[in-house]
Amino acid sequence: MKTFVFDAARCNGCFNCQIACKDEHCGNDWMPYALPQPDMGHFWCKVDQFTHGQIPKVKLEYKVRMCNHCENPACMQAAPDAVYRRDDGLVVIDPAKAKGRKDLVDACPYGEIFWNAEAGVPQKCTGCAHLVDAGELPRCVDACPTGALRYVEEGEVEPGAKAIGLPADAGAAPRMRYVNVPGLFVSGDVWDKEANEIVEGARVTLTPQSGEALSTSTDDLGDFWFRNLEAGVYDLHVEHDGYQPQDMRGIKLDKSLNLGDFPLLKRQ
Amino acid sequence: MVKKGVGADSSHLLGLGWCGNGLGSNTAVVDVKDGKILRTRQFDFFEAYTPEELNAWKVTVGDKVFEGPRTLALPPLSIAYKKRVTSKNRILYPMKRVDWDPNGERHPENRGKSKFERISWDEALDIIAAELHRQYDVYGPGSILVQQDGHGETKLVHGPHGCMSKLFELMGGVTLQCRQPDSWEGWYWGAVHVWDAFPTGEGIQCNLFKDVSENTELMLCWGCDQETTPWGWGGQVASQMTYWFKDLGIQMIYICPDLNYAAGIHADRWIPVYPNTDLALQFAIAYVWITEGLYDKEYVETHTVGFDWLEWEVMGGENGVVKTPEWAEGVCGVPARLIRALARKWHKQATTVAHCNGGGYIRSAYSHEPARMEVCLLAMQGLGKPGRNQFKFVEWGLYGADSQKAVPPSVDFGTLQAGYNGAQSPFVRFIPKTLIPKGIRAKEPFTWMGIPRPSMPRENQFNEYRFPMKDGDPYLHMIWTDCPCWTTCWNGGNDFIDALRSPEMETVVAQHPWFENDCLFADLLLPINTKYEERDIASEFDDAVPNVIYLETQCIEPLGESKSDWETACAVAERVGLLEEYTGGRDVEACIKDAFEGSGAPNFISYEKFKEQEYLAVPFMEGWEDIPAGYEPFCKDPQANPLTTPSGLLEIYSTSLAERFPDDVERLPYPHFIDEGPSHKESRLGERGKDYPLLMVSNHPRWRVHAQMDDITWLREVAKITGEDGYQYEPVWVHPSDAARYGIQDGDVVKIYNERGWTLGAAVLTERIMPGAISQDHGARLDPCEPGVSDRAGANNLICPTNVTSKYAVGEVTNGFLVNIEKADLDALRREFPETFGRTLDEGEGVSLSNWVVKE
Repeated sequence: MKTFVFDAARCNGCFNCQIACKDEHCGNDWMPYALPQPDMGHFWCKVDQFTHGQIPKVKLEYKVRMCNHCENPACMQAAPDAVYRRDDGLVVIDPAKAKGRKDLVDACPYGEIFWNAEAGVPQKCTGCAHLVDAGELPRCVDACPTGALRYVEEGEVEPGAKAIGLPADAGAAPRMRYVNVPGLFVSGDVWDKEANEIVEGARVTLTPQSGEALSTSTDDLGDFWFRNLEAGVYDLHVEHDGYQPQDMRGIKLDKSLNLGDFPLLKRQ
Repeated sequence: MVKKGVGADSSHLLGLGWCGNGLGSNTAVVDVKDGKILRTRQFDFFEAYTPEELNAWKVTVGDKVFEGPRTLALPPLSIAYKKRVTSKNRILYPMKRVDWDPNGERHPENRGKSKFERISWDEALDIIAAELHRQYDVYGPGSILVQQDGHGETKLVHGPHGCMSKLFELMGGVTLQCRQPDSWEGWYWGAVHVWDAFPTGEGIQCNLFKDVSENTELMLCWGCDQETTPWGWGGQVASQMTYWFKDLGIQMIYICPDLNYAAGIHADRWIPVYPNTDLALQFAIAYVWITEGLYDKEYVETHTVGFDWLEWEVMGGENGVVKTPEWAEGVCGVPARLIRALARKWHKQATTVAHCNGGGYIRSAYSHEPARMEVCLLAMQGLGKPGRNQFKFVEWGLYGADSQKAVPPSVDFGTLQAGYNGAQSPFVRFIPKTLIPKGIRAKEPFTWMGIPRPSMPRENQFNEYRFPMKDGDPYLHMIWTDCPCWTTCWNGGNDFIDALRSPEMETVVAQHPWFENDCLFADLLLPINTKYEERDIASEFDDAVPNVIYLETQCIEPLGESKSDWETACAVAERVGLLEEYTGGRDVEACIKDAFEGSGAPNFISYEKFKEQEYLAVPFMEGWEDIPAGYEPFCKDPQANPLTTPSGLLEIYSTSLAERFPDDVERLPYPHFIDEGPSHKESRLGERGKDYPLLMVSNHPRWRVHAQMDDITWLREVAKITGEDGYQYEPVWVHPSDAARYGIQDGDVVKIYNERGWTLGAAVLTERIMPGAISQDHGARLDPCEPGVSDRAGANNLICPTNVTSKYAVGEVTNGFLVNIEKADLDALRREFPETFGRTLDEGEGVSLSNWVVKE
């Protein structure tokens, strides 16, 4: 049994997977697995881009979405006669049997099924079953330049990899896995206001309302970073020998934040 | 035979890079089924060889290993490129502008306004032959300008650029448009005078991938976007390298006004700097080093000349402005405290500065100053010491120079030039590409300094050229272009359009596969096919994969009545009775064979075997690990290993510039701070900054190669933003704080303007651009409102400065210029420009060709 694994830390956002999917399927007939994909509007493999933080502490994140090839696919439950699951785990909508089944578009809790109005069929990622049958990799994986997107045996999936979770998935058991998905970050920089110099080695503590405090030191550019945080409310404390400490309380963290600069004044 | 893809009838090797002029790259396999292109996939360069046969390379650092790639990871542009073949914008038959009558009224003023009608190849060739004879009879050799360069499909036998110039030379002579050191302007016009680095002005690259891997602690990616710029002809090797550098723990700091695509994922720190103010930042760094004694005094003493001039300039110079971090903060926007911290960090850690030829500052006003200043800074920290060099992420095979090979070189086996039919070495008459509008309008001779190619030795900058070359030579009356994108790629497209419509310009012929950009201003259009429709031979050299040559077997039949660039030149040659002289009796097959035999390939494989195997790979050089890295030899012993500068040392003060240009106030013999001068007023702190307070970033585009591929639906789905009127606009990044001041919402269509005209874009409110700057990729497909004034598509080259880099440096200035923005009133624009806003739009490709054709 194989599955797709996406490593957010290796994705350079080149969109090769999305474009290669279109190259493989738009205008190409891969029956019995898939009729041609329309030229536009379908994204059987899609890259989403997110911008986190505020200038100059800004990071890009990419996430690849496609059919999760679920263990208990909602689409298969909705149309057991038209959707099947192969021994290798790939879930396929049979184009011949699914004709007219527009309801399958809504059956997928993840929005990964598209309606082909011209052909009158619901369509989605087939895992490039036609290539897999020939001993090749799915196109999206083959085209990935960094190894961010892989198609591996279940046993090779690294521990800690997570499937996408949605309240609506109710037992679908999605099988595509994600690793190194970044959490939220908090950043800022610390400086000596009188000297107009950055402060290296200042101790910065971030305390969530519940849970343990995190601490770090500012680097040689005066910056501090807390990464992979959960959303919540936090208090921040900045201190450095010989300076008056600074506090920022009640930081509402629902997106990554550059808290700006913390000018320190020397103790009197 | 290349391994056949699943479902394919046949599979073909094709170079899907766009460097043009025979320099292949992005080698891919194209699968074909039923006469249709099925897919484009990566090629395994080791398909017919073992790693031992090709001496496969790797770099080992500690327990980590980087293995030389087996495939050249394609960029999305190459994978999507088959869409260009079937683009609805393909010119499939010859066309003539309806109100251009070569025997009567020519209406040059209507170029860009009036439409086209279909004619036959026979009619087209008749008109062309008559017009060519008339040009030579009436004006004599030189009245025809051939625009024969630029990036485009890379073909060898079939051109694609410059096939026509050889024919016109046979007919008596021609004036050539010659590219300048574009995309590396600053290095050539500035840095060259410090270190005399050939061929581009960027430093020696030998074995720097290994040196950086082993020794560098900090990499300053200065305006460098290795996730975008290399895509055109370097695949995604640069991306793979960057992940490797990060795995090794090399810190990456990005210095640029925008959080570019590489910075967004690789930066440990982004330091935003106002466009083209890097010079102030550099001077302040020098100030910190000098005042705190944080530079390599011994190295400066033994390896440079003229450091006292730099010291003098830093500490006040002619105008008395001391280049403190506080001063720089006001100019470049980087906090003084951060400048000091950065300067100290650079000194402390083994630091390499990285580029993809150049970010914005290398293509801006006075770009020679930051470029040469960067070399001076590198010198102050011991250029050539382990981990301390200038590294480039692209074009290690450029001009075949050994000095550019940052990756392991292959054994030498020459080039395929013997089969090449495209642009030849410049003939005598030329005009720099950056001065074309002036050349078209010229009614009296004008002069400039250098240079007839994008790369020439330093000394060529001291040669004066003129147009017309000799007294009595004609001015320009006809243009033949096979690279019709001056409007969308060069310095001041609106000025070029204005020049094209001057009454003296009697004839404009464009040969191109697609109706786009300068094609709108042609009188005659000739249909050219894409490389999928031709048989050719190609190469890929020095891209980290093994060096290869390969047959490009024909994938599909030519569409419509299209011919290749070379076949088109042959058709014209035949009509004027010069076919035999033009081809030398060679057909395509003979050219391919000549290319093979003229290279070193016969030392490795027979021609018959080559045709059967369809490609030849040659081994990497034995002992490449021992090639000294970058400036290591010079660093170790400058006397034994001198540079080619007059003194043999790094010339912070250039005696050549001092002697040759004593009156130049813009480029002095030593680096000096300049933001405005006689040639340019593009500083936000200057007078024009009051009316146009924003600095424009117009990077090499993420989803195109310059002006190419703006009609690929799959890329437009990613790149464009649909406005409220249903038009797919080119995005323009605006910082939310600026947007609030202007009352602009995310997705609004905005007008970007200065006194040179305006274009439009769809606002993206983003933290990826600093306040005070906006960013819109260059090269969007021209969609004029009032030709020469305004455009709907975001073709921002239209409003770039027309003036060149500085008085004696004819580089382009296409980045970091002043503009203003406002929310566009689409209702008013629709009323004012009913034709533009009424053009039929293809859902995916944008403006349709049908808008411009009255009779098929």
